[in-house]
Amino acid sequence: MVVANIVILSITSRHHHSSSSLGPVLIGIVAPFQAGATRSIQFAGNIWRHYFSLVSVARENDNLRQALARAVQENNKQRETVLTNQRLRRLLNFTKTILGKQLAAEVIGLDPSPWFKSVTVNKGKFNGIVKGMPVVNPDGVVGQVAEVSGHYANVLLAIDRNSAVDALVQRTRARGIIKGTSSDQYRFKYVLRKNDVRVGDTIISSGMDGVFPKGILIGQVADIVRRNSGIFQEVAVIPHVDFEKLEEVMIILNPPKGNFLETP
Amino acid sequence: MIFLFYIVIVFCIIVLQTAVVPLLFTTRGFYDLLIPFVVYAGFFRPIAEGLTTVILMGLITDCLSASPFGLYLTTYVWLYVGARWLVRFFHAHSGVVLFFIVAVGVLFENILWLLTITFLGRMELISSEAVVSCVFRQVLWALFTGPFFLFGYMQIPHWMKR
Repeated sequence: MVVANIVILSITSRHHHSSSSLGPVLIGIVAPFQAGATRSIQFAGNIWRHYFSLVSVARENDNLRQALARAVQENNKQRETVLTNQRLRRLLNFTKTILGKQLAAEVIGLDPSPWFKSVTVNKGKFNGIVKGMPVVNPDGVVGQVAEVSGHYANVLLAIDRNSAVDALVQRTRARGIIKGTSSDQYRFKYVLRKNDVRVGDTIISSGMDGVFPKGILIGQVADIVRRNSGIFQEVAVIPHVDFEKLEEVMIILNPPKGNFLETP
Repeated sequence: MIFLFYIVIVFCIIVLQTAVVPLLFTTRGFYDLLIPFVVYAGFFRPIAEGLTTVILMGLITDCLSASPFGLYLTTYVWLYVGARWLVRFFHAHSGVVLFFIVAVGVLFENILWLLTITFLGRMELISSEAVVSCVFRQVLWALFTGPFFLFGYMQIPHWMKR
């Protein structure tokens, strides 16, 4: 029985989720309740923040006014930078980093296991979501849609050990694969020893996997181990995205064409 | 009727575990809240009733998790079998055992998961320090809160009689 069990598990683990319709159906049943529970807690939290914390709001308001003044100055500088950037892009015939339409979704549930990392979001097939679509947020790469039901979808996070993203070191363009570890760090694998990688380097998506558009932030190099033997170096990367506080994500609806995407 | 009641309970636990607990505990160190129910089903419910509920629980959780399909189902069924075995051969369904059994169940579940991850050749990606601290946190939580869940479930037959 144990052997049969191991064999079945090894078969199912090769395909991330069952191809049967059971998954989407069960997600469709459970997810509305998850959404209800999440909203109730957020509602209670909002009441607390908005009505019972007014004392600190006045002080915070003063600080925010000062911060706003600084931000306006900063914004002017940024606008100038954007204009310069647009000119240079046109000049160099660059394409936009993130192509086309994105759809915002709210995280309504997390993976029940601490060893596997996925979230349930409140957008699904009826919103145009398809299995395999890339998911990002303003901080960078979040993951990939793994299962879709009518109004909900399951997103496999980039920190899950089943996840892999083709990536580049922004400074030196050294290429490798970002692998999730189901902990708070990525592993940047298959980076040649001869390539120049330093602690603090920024890692971005390469766009070569046909899933994530090129140039999306992934993380920063935290540690490098170069062993005496072997052709690769071991690089630990801290994610830019705070996966513990993931609340909203953007699903890219028309990512670069890849094999993994299903036809809708 | 009893099945419907169990399904509602299981549903509530799953929503609690996936939507409420993560908002209250920012670090993912809480244990699987379905384990006390599996232990309760193994200890106190007839096999047809308990096993059906446990299989349903496993299927739902497998669909919601990024784990290989069948891992939760496997874990719950083996845990259920283990609990029934304890009752049958050691008559261990009362007393001090109830205080520790949930923590033991949590430890068993984690060992099974880690064995599966090792078997899939992905263990190199987890640092041993992270594993020990995560399992330790879960077992500690289970030790202190598990008996409360278990005793709560033991009241189910009394509620049903009313």
